[in-house]
Amino acid sequence: MGSHNKVVVLDNGGGLLKAGIGGDHSPTAVVPNCLGRPPSSKKWLSGDQLLSSDDHTSVSLRRPLDRGYLVNPDLQKEIWDRVLHHLLLLSDDDLRSSSLLLVEPLLNLPSARRASDELVFEDFGFSSLYVADPPSLVHLHHHHHHHCSLVVDCGFSFAHAAPVLEGFTLNYGVRRLDIGGKALTNHLKELVSYRSINVMDETLLIDQAKERLCFVSLDVPRDLRLSRIRGRDNPFRCTYVLPDGVNHMRGFVKDEEEAQRYLSLPPEGEQDARRIEDEVMDDAQRREERKRSILAENEFSLTNERFLVPEMLFHPADLGMNEAGLAECIVRSVDACHPYLHPVLFESIVLSGGSTLFPRFAERLERELRPLVCDDYKVKITTQEDPILGVWRGGSLLASTPDFEAMCVTKVEYEEYGSTRCRRRFFH
Amino acid sequence: MDDDHGEGTSRRSSSRLRKVAPKMVAALTSADNRTQATMARLEALENDNAGAEVVDVDDEDASLDDDDQAYMKRQLKNTKRKTRQAKALENAKKAPRTFMELLNDANLEALPPHVPSYLRAAVGPPSATSRRHFCTVCGFTANYTCVRCGVRFCSIRCQVIHNDTRCLKFVA
Repeated sequence: MGSHNKVVVLDNGGGLLKAGIGGDHSPTAVVPNCLGRPPSSKKWLSGDQLLSSDDHTSVSLRRPLDRGYLVNPDLQKEIWDRVLHHLLLLSDDDLRSSSLLLVEPLLNLPSARRASDELVFEDFGFSSLYVADPPSLVHLHHHHHHHCSLVVDCGFSFAHAAPVLEGFTLNYGVRRLDIGGKALTNHLKELVSYRSINVMDETLLIDQAKERLCFVSLDVPRDLRLSRIRGRDNPFRCTYVLPDGVNHMRGFVKDEEEAQRYLSLPPEGEQDARRIEDEVMDDAQRREERKRSILAENEFSLTNERFLVPEMLFHPADLGMNEAGLAECIVRSVDACHPYLHPVLFESIVLSGGSTLFPRFAERLERELRPLVCDDYKVKITTQEDPILGVWRGGSLLASTPDFEAMCVTKVEYEEYGSTRCRRRFFH
Repeated sequence: MDDDHGEGTSRRSSSRLRKVAPKMVAALTSADNRTQATMARLEALENDNAGAEVVDVDDEDASLDDDDQAYMKRQLKNTKRKTRQAKALENAKKAPRTFMELLNDANLEALPPHVPSYLRAAVGPPSATSRRHFCTVCGFTANYTCVRCGVRFCSIRCQVIHNDTRCLKFVA
């Protein structure tokens, strides 16, 4: 660390805000980037308070970012205030003497850039600012010994495929898919509300259920067939219990073993499936059992929703969106680059972002991608150890390089030249 | 008998009046409504909270569009008062804006074609894969389409549920 200067690294994601001190291995604070209000209180709680509070039911949320871009600077200011002062324990004087490495979404809008510059320099008074985009940081963290990589960032608001060459994101090759974790959660919410109990107000609870139970199917027609099986023999059926506010405050999966059953299915078990089906049909006893296991009031069970929800990332057209799926997004992104880069990019795909955490995500992506790519090229998809923190860790690395200070825009420069001219330094 | 439609003579229609609200009739006929409904559903996927987004409208803000009477009343209440225009400006500055508004303001279409921008980074329509249809009721592959609202279902059982619960909800 420099003798005088701390660097605050802030990955301001649409879903989670990751903040910490440059040089550390992990961020000090990972909190939802929102304010929430339980129906019982009048006050809006910040992300960390929400996480630690007992009551996650019917929380209404306000987010400063819409579709990944900053739309409400006032709200953002409140959240940063909380994070910087209470979670990172920095005083105003600390802030004035430290730099900020801010992670901004790709192809940010000029008005959002101006707004965040204002926040950084005028409201918080940081001494200098460096703005980085997520793909280049992932590259730095994960693939720094390669010349280039293709970063697939499936986040909360959208998914990006971005080619990175020598540490710089090739903006012209970036392709965006307008579906992310938020859309998936809302989709699941809608399905559950229509099919079993109304959870339209339970964004937080359903978000947790999604993280626990959803997975990516490797063979959708087969899994659909399997999920038709009735009763307990259905390998995907799984019950999620909502908090009742008395005995337990968090939602949980009723039977963990039941939830993991899909993992032990035979890989291409067509015959198997049919056999199981026959068995079930013969077994009248089982049917009775099914009748007995009528769901209690505050639980819902999921079957095909578990894989049909993440499926939307691969086939947004199924939802009625006129957009290509993730695999095609990658191909188009690569196609926009120079032909010399194509083979190298395909064999250095890195996954990043929270939505890639669905089990079997990488495997499925490879299966989708392989037929679309020329046979001579290798396709290699690598996953990160922690896809949510990858961007932040890259930022932490960058902040601890010796010439980091030289790359920043200082407060004095900002005051003299204004936002637009300062931003040119970051090659947007 | 009375064949005033000029269609095939074999076809008879019942004389019973079907009770359909005028709005629904409009919804039934135009294909545009269906696309609008899909758009609305997709838009809803980006909502933070279900239902109507609560917008804190200040009293002053409401008065701007009210008729003069209401305005006068409020004028009596607040002794310290700015001009309408100043207040409108202030409110407009303060109000959180949606991403779509910001996007429109940014006027990205005006950029020359070689400059990468938010709009040009969109992945675009799918090339080959056709849309798969899933039953909106149970989630399985759906072979049938509701003739009234265009939503898919897979079996008679699901059709009944669909008709009873959400048919035309999104359209009308």
